[in-house]
Amino acid sequence: MSPLVIAFLVLALLTCGSALAMLWTKNLLHAALAMFLTMLGLAGLYVLAFADMLAVAHLLVYVGGVLILILFGIMLTNQTDPATGKNHLMTRESNRLLPISVGLSFFLGLFWVFTKGPWVNNLPVTGGSKLREVGLGLLTEYAFPFELAGVFLLIALIGATFVAKKHD
Amino acid sequence: MTDIPVIYFLWVSAFLFAMGLTILLLKKNTIFVLMGIELILNAANLNLVAFSKNDPSMQGLYLSIFVLVVGVCEMAIALAIILQVYRNYRAIEVDQFKSEY
Repeated sequence: MSPLVIAFLVLALLTCGSALAMLWTKNLLHAALAMFLTMLGLAGLYVLAFADMLAVAHLLVYVGGVLILILFGIMLTNQTDPATGKNHLMTRESNRLLPISVGLSFFLGLFWVFTKGPWVNNLPVTGGSKLREVGLGLLTEYAFPFELAGVFLLIALIGATFVAKKHD
Repeated sequence: MTDIPVIYFLWVSAFLFAMGLTILLLKKNTIFVLMGIELILNAANLNLVAFSKNDPSMQGLYLSIFVLVVGVCEMAIALAIILQVYRNYRAIEVDQFKSEY
C-alpha cells in the first residue's frame, strides 16, 4: 500500500468513527466535539482529493464559524435540569429501530450503487494541486456566481441577526 | 500520483450520508438535527470533490465551494430560528412544538 492510501485510511477512519460517535452519544456537547473531529477528517480527505483550497475554506468555515455558532446555540437554549439546576445536555431519542434500519438500508443501497456504477474504473487521471485554476476560474468564468454567493451570505447574515433579535 | 480510487471517497460519503440521515431521524433535539443536516451536506460535498478529482474542468469543485457557502447561511438562519423557537416554547425538542391555533 502506498503512503497516500494509508493516509486516506487513517483520515477516513477518523471521519467515520467520529460520525458514528456523533450518532452514538446523547450528550449535545460531545456531539459538537465529535462533529469537530469529523470536519477535521473531512478537510484531510479534501486535501487527498487535491482540493486544498476547499479544505482550508472548510476548516475556516466549519471549525471557526459553524461550530462556534452551534456552541452558542447550545448555551443560549439551555434546559435547566430540575434535579441539579445545571444545563441539561442529554437529548432524548425516538425509537431506535426505525431510524437505524432506514440509515443502514440507505448506506447499503448507496454502497451497492456506487460499487456497481459504470464510472468507477474508466476515468482519466489528473493529479496535483489546482489552486491556480480555482482562483482564475472563480474570478473569470464563475465571477457572477461568486459575487452572488457573497451577496447571498451578506443577506443571510443580516437576516439571521434580524430573526434572532428580540421582537416585542 | 493519484493512487486513491474514486470509489473509496464514495464509500466514505455514503457512510457519512447514512449517519446524517440516522441522526436526523433519531434525535429529538433541534440542534442535533441540524448537525445531521450538516453531515448530509458534507457527504454530498465529498462526492463532488471526489469526482472533480478526475475532471479537468473541475465543475464539481466550484459547485462544492458554493455548497459550502449555502450550508453556512442555512446554519446561521436555522440557529436564529431555533433561538426564537426557544423564546416562545422554552424547549427545542421537535415533538414539543404545538400550535396554539
